[in-house]
Amino acid sequence: MDKMTEEQYRAISNMLRKRSLWMLHYCTGCGAMELPPTMTSRYDMERFGIVPYVTPRQADILLVTGYVNTKTLRRIVTVYEQMLDPKYVIGFGSCPINGGVYWDSYSVIKQLDKYIPVDLYIAGCMPRPEAIITAFRHLMDLVDKGKADGYRRYKENLDYYKKNQRKVLG
Amino acid sequence: MVGKEILIAIGIPLLAFSIGISLMMFRRKIAARIQRRYGPNFIQPLIDIFKLLAKKGNITHGIMYDLGPIIALAASITVVFFIPMPGMKLMTGSADVIALLYIMVIGSLATALGAGESANPNSSIGVARALTLMLGYDLPFVIVIITLVLKYHTTNLYAIMQAQAGGSWAMWVLPLSAIAGIIVTYGALGEHPFDAAVAPNEVATGPMAEYGGKHLGLLMINHAFHIYIELALFVDLFMGGASNIFYFYAKMFVIFVLIIFFDEVLPRFRIDDAVRFYWRWPTILALIGLIIVLVK
Amino acid sequence: MMNMSLGILLATPFIGGILAYLGGKIHRWVRYTLAILFSVLTFCELFFYYGTESANLTWGKLFGSLLVLRINNLSWLFAFIVTGISMLVVIFSVNDMEEHKGLDFYYMELLFVEGAMLGIVLAGDLITFFMFWEMMSWTSYILVIQNGEMSMKAGYKYIIMSIIGAYAMLASLGMVFGKAHSLVFSNVANALAKSSPGFVIGFFVLFGAGLLVKAAIMPLHTWLPDAHSEAPSPVSPLLSGVLIKMGAYGLFVLFYGLLSVQLLGNLIPTILPVPLLLYIVQWLAAISIVLATFLAIMQEDAKRLLAYSSISQIGYVVLGIATGSSLGIAGGLFHALNHAIFKSLLFFAIGAVIYRTGTRNMSELGGLIKKMPITFTGALIGIVALAGVPPLNGFVSKWMIYEALLQKKEVFLLIFAFVGSTGAFLYLYRFIHSVFLGQLPEKYENVREVPFLMQIPIWILSILAVLFGVFPGIPMKVISKAEAFFGITPVKYNLYGFPQGSAMGALKVINISSVLVTALIVVLVLFYTLPKSKKLSQYDTYAAGQIVTPETKYNYSYGFYMSFGRVVNPVFKWSADKIYNAWARALKVFGDYMRRVYTGNLETYGSYIVVLLTIVAFVILIGGRLW
Repeated sequence: MDKMTEEQYRAISNMLRKRSLWMLHYCTGCGAMELPPTMTSRYDMERFGIVPYVTPRQADILLVTGYVNTKTLRRIVTVYEQMLDPKYVIGFGSCPINGGVYWDSYSVIKQLDKYIPVDLYIAGCMPRPEAIITAFRHLMDLVDKGKADGYRRYKENLDYYKKNQRKVLG
Repeated sequence: MVGKEILIAIGIPLLAFSIGISLMMFRRKIAARIQRRYGPNFIQPLIDIFKLLAKKGNITHGIMYDLGPIIALAASITVVFFIPMPGMKLMTGSADVIALLYIMVIGSLATALGAGESANPNSSIGVARALTLMLGYDLPFVIVIITLVLKYHTTNLYAIMQAQAGGSWAMWVLPLSAIAGIIVTYGALGEHPFDAAVAPNEVATGPMAEYGGKHLGLLMINHAFHIYIELALFVDLFMGGASNIFYFYAKMFVIFVLIIFFDEVLPRFRIDDAVRFYWRWPTILALIGLIIVLVK
Repeated sequence: MMNMSLGILLATPFIGGILAYLGGKIHRWVRYTLAILFSVLTFCELFFYYGTESANLTWGKLFGSLLVLRINNLSWLFAFIVTGISMLVVIFSVNDMEEHKGLDFYYMELLFVEGAMLGIVLAGDLITFFMFWEMMSWTSYILVIQNGEMSMKAGYKYIIMSIIGAYAMLASLGMVFGKAHSLVFSNVANALAKSSPGFVIGFFVLFGAGLLVKAAIMPLHTWLPDAHSEAPSPVSPLLSGVLIKMGAYGLFVLFYGLLSVQLLGNLIPTILPVPLLLYIVQWLAAISIVLATFLAIMQEDAKRLLAYSSISQIGYVVLGIATGSSLGIAGGLFHALNHAIFKSLLFFAIGAVIYRTGTRNMSELGGLIKKMPITFTGALIGIVALAGVPPLNGFVSKWMIYEALLQKKEVFLLIFAFVGSTGAFLYLYRFIHSVFLGQLPEKYENVREVPFLMQIPIWILSILAVLFGVFPGIPMKVISKAEAFFGITPVKYNLYGFPQGSAMGALKVINISSVLVTALIVVLVLFYTLPKSKKLSQYDTYAAGQIVTPETKYNYSYGFYMSFGRVVNPVFKWSADKIYNAWARALKVFGDYMRRVYTGNLETYGSYIVVLLTIVAFVILIGGRLW
């Protein structure tokens, strides 16, 4: 397969993949309150092809909804590693960006990007369903252009991530 | 003539797959409209299957885990050849209705074995529930099939189909058995209210819990074939097949829409309640239908 | 020459047993070699008789009745099962029973059981039949009790019930001897043809009771779960695969050799499609199928599960044989052959697992597929065959029985049979899931595959299961000749199935298998062109983020079908076992009362004699006139 066909295959594959992202229905924090309105009839998320699925093996997107303390971080890392490539992480709310309302807590992770690679952040406390849908569309755009490669970054910089995780989790 | 054989051998499963996939597409759209929203793209199931088959980081738990979806899909493709399509006898001369019931089991057994090897108790619970449900709906199913065999004096599926041609469908002649047959089709397809086996909130989608990527893609293709098989069997048994493929598809579509309507509004039975339900009302209806045929 | 060598065929296992016993005193490998040699020799000798219609050998005279040995195609079929499975059991026992005490005696008994069963199928008159029947009972009893305390209790129940059945059989023999003055099969058949209906029914019930105890039809089945599960591992295939077939063989001879379908039909004319007595037997078999299946689903112990499954499958055999039509009888006989093959295969597989792990409790096992792949393959083929899934052999025989029931329009029996077959998937899946799939407990990390001698039976039986499934014409040849000999029109068949087997449907297994294999190849090609997969450990599984380690028992193994149990538990409040135990207790209470009279005290007996003599003397003195 010469390079031309490889690129064409990748373009078609990205175009189809962006239309069928599956979300992991894993509510890690208080931000998960905004997920049911997004999934149900008013702000219907399914029209973009995004469906909630139960296990990490079946899902593509991990939504880290809300604050992450060390207990949750352990589980999130396990779940992230159980997901199949290609996978994307969306940081939801202000807490994964810089700690949010828990900026001075001893047990909350301030910057999620140090521990697992994040593709997209959504600002807000809580973001409304319209913001969530805008974020999903932005993610679909990134997938289409081939720029959402958090999983590749994870595999390449595994030591960096593991070092940070071990420092916090022990 | 060998070319024609090969064409049929490839074309029939593809036709069955496309019928199954189109019914899946209609399903998501109709379900969405029932819930007063727009629903996904029309060809969403195909995109889903493509995405799953193109996943890069697949995992496996062993040889049986791989073989589960493979044998299930192979078995579903095999069953397609033994259900007559309009105008085509296919291979019904080699296996009659009773043999067909057993060939349909190969797929479930293979999925169950694969789910067992995935070492997840959610899968095992899902499989235990699915098998219990199969024991539940098999009782009215068998009574219904025996009723049909006794009425038409043959176990050959093609002959049963031919005997109903020209308007005297078994659905009008044996209405009670047809009602029992439809309720059984719910259970066989795993739709609400009988989907305790793949309950996403309870057992993490049951047998599919540990499956992802290309295995899940194969399982979804298998589901499309399964929809085709169950509905085609019902249409052949009770609605006399059809004279060409469009009427066949239309009949399957009508039955499927009926199933979707009930599926979207009903909650889920607990599994032992489901078995008790199957052994009560559909069985009584089917038994009354059987006695009517025996007495006449 | 032919006639003489029937005696040689029968004597070979007995001689082999005695020689193995004596040879074991010299060295254990002499014992093993002699045992294997003689069992293989018996199996090979059988092939001299392939296709003989009948050969007779009169070997004695007792009470004025000749004792006859004979062979025809039916006997050949059952003798094939007996000698074949016994040969495999002997080969399996070489490694499995190594730490056992008293092995000389064990091998002698093993070969004696084979000889006794061979005597049953070769018997030409009822005395020989009964002699070898009793011999089979006590030799198998000795084999059952070799496994410790629990097996002694199980064997006790087994032998008591067998003896009660055998007494009933003896009573029927006495009845018919008075009429016919000879117990050769043909004379008995003539005498019964001329007897009154009441006599025939009495004979049928008594003789049948003895057979049904051995064939473990409900409600006479209660010895089977204990006996088959507590017996040592190589003995269980012999019991479950072969011994209960003797009951089925006896029923066939009773229905179609001693009596006949016309005779039974003329006894009690009814509107039923089969004669009334056969119909009752069919209903008992059908109830056996369903109730035993439900009981098997609820079991936790692997061998008990297989034992209840045996009750269920032998119900199919009896259901087929009692149908009275050619397709049904052929189906019943074929299922007997198939059941011997796949049930022995399953028992050998679980015997291999017990040999390596030491436990048969399914909730403790798991994940043995990676350590014992050949045993797993054997168990998988056994399960698929038992479930009746094409293209293996269980499917063909079950199909034949269903078609026969449809032809006779016996729909309620067919419903029972179907429900039993669907229930079989449940317990079979439980068996293979809890033992082979899932996670491996830490204490079984060092389990290896079983030694080669123990694998031989698994290989051979797996190949036979597949062969008889795809080419059912091979055993059908013998079966249809057996049917023809007894005056039943044989079934039309060909190598691949039944072209127009019943008036209702046709079957051609090779088409099903070839389509399946082609589809499998296509899907495999598709699968391997997709991106490759990475292998993971069994502990890296979905647990909602929790990390799973061997200490957290993350599997679903105890109470697998609890929800189904909630549905069927109300039915099992009554249990035949409890009824028999209640009778046994009542008998014990009666005996306690009797002990007040029969005190065992010599002085009391002396006083009884004195009192009685006084009364007698008094009566004589007054001239014998009491009033």
